[in-house]
Amino acid sequence: MNEQNRLQAGITPAISGAVMVIGGGISGMQSALDLANAGFKVYLVESSPAIGGKMAQLDKTFPTNDCSMCIVSPKLVEVGRHLNIELLTWSEVTALSGEAGDFTATVSSRARYVDIGKCTGCGACELACPVTQISYFPQEMPEEEQKKGGREKRLIRGPGSPVPKTLHPWAFSVIAEKCSKCGNCFRACLHGAISWEKGGIASVIADKCTGCGACYTACPEKFSAVAISDAPDLDKSLGAAIVARSVALKKEIPVKGRQDCIRCGLCAMTCRKVMRIGALKMVADGIEANLDACQVCGACVSVCPVSFLEIDQVTNREARPLYNRFNEGLNLRHPVNILYPQAVPRVPVIDEASCVQLNTGACGICKSVCGPGAIDYGLKGGERQIRIGSVIFSPGFEVFDAKRRGEFGYGIYKNVVTSIEFERLLSASGPTSGTVQRPGDGRHPKKIAWIQCVGSRDSSCDRDYCSSVCCMYATKEAYIAREHDSAIEPTIFYIDMRSFGKNFDNYVERAKERNIRFVRAMVSRVFEDPLTGDLELRYVDGSGWRVTETFDMVVLSVGVQIAAKTRELAATLGVGLDRFGFAITDAFTPLATSRPGIYVGGVINGPKDIPETVIEASGAAQAASAGLALARGSEITVEALPEERRPDPDEELRIGVFVCHCGTNIASVVDVAAVAEYARSLPGVVYAGHPLYTCSQDSQESIRAIIGEHRLNRLVAAACSPSTHEPLFMSTLRQAGINKYFFDMANIRDQCSWVHPNDPEMATEKAKRLVRMAVANASQAEALAELEFDVNPGLLVIGGGVAGMTAALEAARQGFDVSLVEQQPALGGQAQNLGRTWDGQYFWEYLVKLKEEVERHERIKLFLGSAVVEHSGFVGSFTTDIMTPSGALRTISHGAIIVATGAEEARPDLHGLGTSERVLTQVDFETRLFGNEQGELNHVVMLQCAGSRATVTAAYSEPDTGTPCETPAGTVAGQGHLPYCSRVCCNQAVKNALRLKEINPAARIDILYRDMRTYGLGELQYQQARRQGVNFIRFDPLENPPEIDVADGGVRVVVSDPSIGRKVSLAPDLLVLSTGMKPRENEELASMLRVPRNSNGFFIEAHAKLRPVDLPSEGLFMAGTVHAPKDVSETIAQAQAAVARAAILLSKKNLRLSGVVSRVDPAHCAVCLTCVRACPYGVPFINAEHTAEINPALCQGCGICVAECPAKAITLGRYQDVNLKAKIRSYAQGLTEAATVEETHDG
Amino acid sequence: MLEAFENGADGVMVIGCLEGDCHYLSGNIRARARVARVAAILESIRIGGERIRMFNLSAGEGAKFAAYVNEFVGQVRELGPSPVNVVRKNAA
Repeated sequence: MNEQNRLQAGITPAISGAVMVIGGGISGMQSALDLANAGFKVYLVESSPAIGGKMAQLDKTFPTNDCSMCIVSPKLVEVGRHLNIELLTWSEVTALSGEAGDFTATVSSRARYVDIGKCTGCGACELACPVTQISYFPQEMPEEEQKKGGREKRLIRGPGSPVPKTLHPWAFSVIAEKCSKCGNCFRACLHGAISWEKGGIASVIADKCTGCGACYTACPEKFSAVAISDAPDLDKSLGAAIVARSVALKKEIPVKGRQDCIRCGLCAMTCRKVMRIGALKMVADGIEANLDACQVCGACVSVCPVSFLEIDQVTNREARPLYNRFNEGLNLRHPVNILYPQAVPRVPVIDEASCVQLNTGACGICKSVCGPGAIDYGLKGGERQIRIGSVIFSPGFEVFDAKRRGEFGYGIYKNVVTSIEFERLLSASGPTSGTVQRPGDGRHPKKIAWIQCVGSRDSSCDRDYCSSVCCMYATKEAYIAREHDSAIEPTIFYIDMRSFGKNFDNYVERAKERNIRFVRAMVSRVFEDPLTGDLELRYVDGSGWRVTETFDMVVLSVGVQIAAKTRELAATLGVGLDRFGFAITDAFTPLATSRPGIYVGGVINGPKDIPETVIEASGAAQAASAGLALARGSEITVEALPEERRPDPDEELRIGVFVCHCGTNIASVVDVAAVAEYARSLPGVVYAGHPLYTCSQDSQESIRAIIGEHRLNRLVAAACSPSTHEPLFMSTLRQAGINKYFFDMANIRDQCSWVHPNDPEMATEKAKRLVRMAVANASQAEALAELEFDVNPGLLVIGGGVAGMTAALEAARQGFDVSLVEQQPALGGQAQNLGRTWDGQYFWEYLVKLKEEVERHERIKLFLGSAVVEHSGFVGSFTTDIMTPSGALRTISHGAIIVATGAEEARPDLHGLGTSERVLTQVDFETRLFGNEQGELNHVVMLQCAGSRATVTAAYSEPDTGTPCETPAGTVAGQGHLPYCSRVCCNQAVKNALRLKEINPAARIDILYRDMRTYGLGELQYQQARRQGVNFIRFDPLENPPEIDVADGGVRVVVSDPSIGRKVSLAPDLLVLSTGMKPRENEELASMLRVPRNSNGFFIEAHAKLRPVDLPSEGLFMAGTVHAPKDVSETIAQAQAAVARAAILLSKKNLRLSGVVSRVDPAHCAVCLTCVRACPYGVPFINAEHTAEINPALCQGCGICVAECPAKAITLGRYQDVNLKAKIRSYAQGLTEAATVEETHDG
Repeated sequence: MLEAFENGADGVMVIGCLEGDCHYLSGNIRARARVARVAAILESIRIGGERIRMFNLSAGEGAKFAAYVNEFVGQVRELGPSPVNVVRKNAA
């Protein structure tokens, strides 16, 4: 391969070292990170305004109940900050020319109207924008209506009483020079507060004025003689002042529901002076609305401080609310909108369709309130040509349009929601802040029903496939709903419970224990009680009775589908799709599309959950970069850093403090100038400033200049959250030549101004205290060295099955030297026993080719019949001893390991397996079906879950906690039965049934199953098998287990068939047992590599959702069935993913480790072994000098050993006792005199 | 933790991730044991073991965090100032 590339590079234009990733969901982000971290430039194109995709919308994730946003946001930040990932959001690929290695993509970006370079993401524009509807702008109004010119008027009654004059009043006056003496103001004033005589100049009588602004709106535009004074924010714009007053009044007047008009006049002023419409007028009895003049923008409604106005009152036209798409339309948004709070880039987009300024030129409030001047209504979209070597297509999915299943009433009944809407209702950052409420009336629902397979497994609406994720997400939603409100009684209506993934069955069992009811039934219809909004569900229960049951709320478990836009994009790219819109791929090259050089990851390649998506994304990154390996590093930017200044131990403290306004986020509550002033008085502080946005690009530059100018040697930022912004400030510090650990951060936004908006004084005091603590901590900071060491670019692959061989070959294509160790004398693994793939390809053909390529490759060294016997070292620098068949030891040095030891078919002692020749396992059967001696087979019975999913009801294990398991694999229940679902058996049974039908169409096949788990596109084969007459008989292992009698004479199976309600007696030629798979013997290897296994013997990944390929120890990865049961395509994808993950390490010359690691002071170490026992990662060891030692390359910096060490011989940089004590003491300063609880705990 | 009491705190909250969700695998389980030990010490020196408590929260549970803080502050208010502070005040 490499030779070929070299040749190509010589004669054709050199290949590009850049890759374009289309789609910024979890798949695209993972691909982008893996590529960029392995030396490739990435262009990440996302059609929406921010990356994050569907995962950012989810509340929790199954089966660990991890908070989705918490685990995805670090990825967002990493992508956003990556030097070699160029984000092209709000953009689309419109053309792609060229070929693999040398493509040119055309990317067109839509106008954002906000300058990404200037915007700091403070959100002030969104808070100020009063528009909430899609207006009827002049260009779309019918002519006759425009001519009619507003005759119909309506009085909105609300004479009310004027808001107390002292409450945020504005003062009005008449500018004598401008007054046209027309008297409009005099006539408009309802309080006799204008003095005017015909032909004279008007003036305002201040005592009588209530500040309603009627005079101001009445004064003709061309004179504008009425002026406002004493209005905060008026210097920005009138609109900004109106919004500010509205916000101030809202704070002051506690509103519960709709209240009477307070005659503040903000609505009329907004309409006339900001929107330039003038459809509202203050009159004696209330507000007069000119119904035809109204443009229905909603501004009057949103500035009303008492929720008096309603949109339907001011117009006759249908209001078109601007729904928040991120919250699935459950609440409203403004035309200027940041997609979601954690969005990257956190930059709003102004919507062309609804923004008043862009359509009529009026308003413009957002621009006037934007501190950094980032809003520019004149910005235009653009088009760019980008040269790249390959493309990863990961556009993701949309959910099924539930309106197409009309019988459930979605879109008609308000309390019927889709599952993704329910996710938003559960989310703490969602429209209801995480309280489960009915959208219809806001009531807390008690009985909630989930209806499964809405838009899945349904050929009537062309969604024949299974969406793979709904069973689990519905269970999760029910589980979390009950956690939010234990009064909720969830019921899940399902066809088959497809909880086929790792630890999924356990999760469902735990859900059952938490009183979540599962009903195997298809709901036929939903009816609404129009009075109560309750919903009546009709279904047929397990015993065949028609049942009617009432629920408070219904959640439709909508399936995934490929959007029409995605299909168009695929056509543009030249990627072939199947009839459902999924990319056409091959079982043995699962990530390559029909166009060479374009790869796929995620749901575009078939329905799948997050970990599967992440695996494919990493795999696609590998596939996309393998052909570009020679161009690695050719297009990336490397950050150039100045020499780090060595701190002199005696030098004086020179601390610089930056207190951030964060626009108004902090400054509107906390007196930042006072905090900065206070900071200046603290010991060691020589500079304190308060920039408007400390994080903005220009602030970073000025901070760098200030560090130089004031010779600062410590930096403290009092701003927002360290989890998002600490790396930025630390890198600025480093760029100024200072060790980056001379830093601390006080979070005075999330932990202060946001929490105490109503108590500015105490909030300021709290901010001072937080700053004082940060300064105290920074004073104690030490320069920490980040260890740098060389990386050995070799890779060790353990296991020579499909996973191991693929990994070895792909790594070799990437240019790394590989040692492949296989225990058996030949390569091949479990796949040698298999016949054909789901798409009809022969395994043996594939294996022959793969083996040959592996054996021939110059970079792969094979160790057959060999075993790993000794292993040491750490990431980037491992040493492993291999015992060869001759008994000789070979020592290999390498930088990373991929474990691919695989799994084998379980052979439990069950129903005469192994004793009767009429009883086979599914794999035995497959071998026979594809072998030479098929024999005459007329009747076959297959038993699914034979010895599988055995003990889940009896005992479940908690999800993997990372602790190495103590029970050896395969001894659960003492019978060799597997407690888990093996994922592949249902598909395999269907495949083999179809094969038998191919050989002998007359053959009778009965498949006895518990749940048919033919997930994803496997559902199509299942339907085909049903069409071809294969019988599927469901059984329950507890209630009606099949009676199986295997004797010399033959096999007899008696089972009760629930579909006919009778017992059937079968006498097949063969009984085929789907026994599932179990990991190969790997206990010794696991303990040698120090990686944890779960109670079933499968290796535990570093993170169940987002690091499914990494093992918990750095530098170790896994591929294939050693992780969990999976099919061949999934195995190949994971092998490619493992190479992508390893390539990140191996492509680096050296690695730099965090400076925050534990160190042992040998002088104090008593060699008590406490640290050795306490470390969750098994890092500390006793060295030759007989003291404990912690390898900084392995240390994770958790500090457990530090806390446990009785001799206090261990320290952890940044978190030493001196640091913590300094913070505590500094916290307590000023407390000692104020010894009463009341005083100490205010704020 | 004791340092905080020495420095005049009336109560101390220790907050960790949800059990089973620790980024460092078992750190929060160890922290729980440590907090229990500190509580025992506080009890034996008559400051009161109920003045320190461990809470578990995920990063997405802002509202719960606030509820915990309010609950604990309320509890500490009922207990009154820490004996350390009472003695110091009287001495002053």
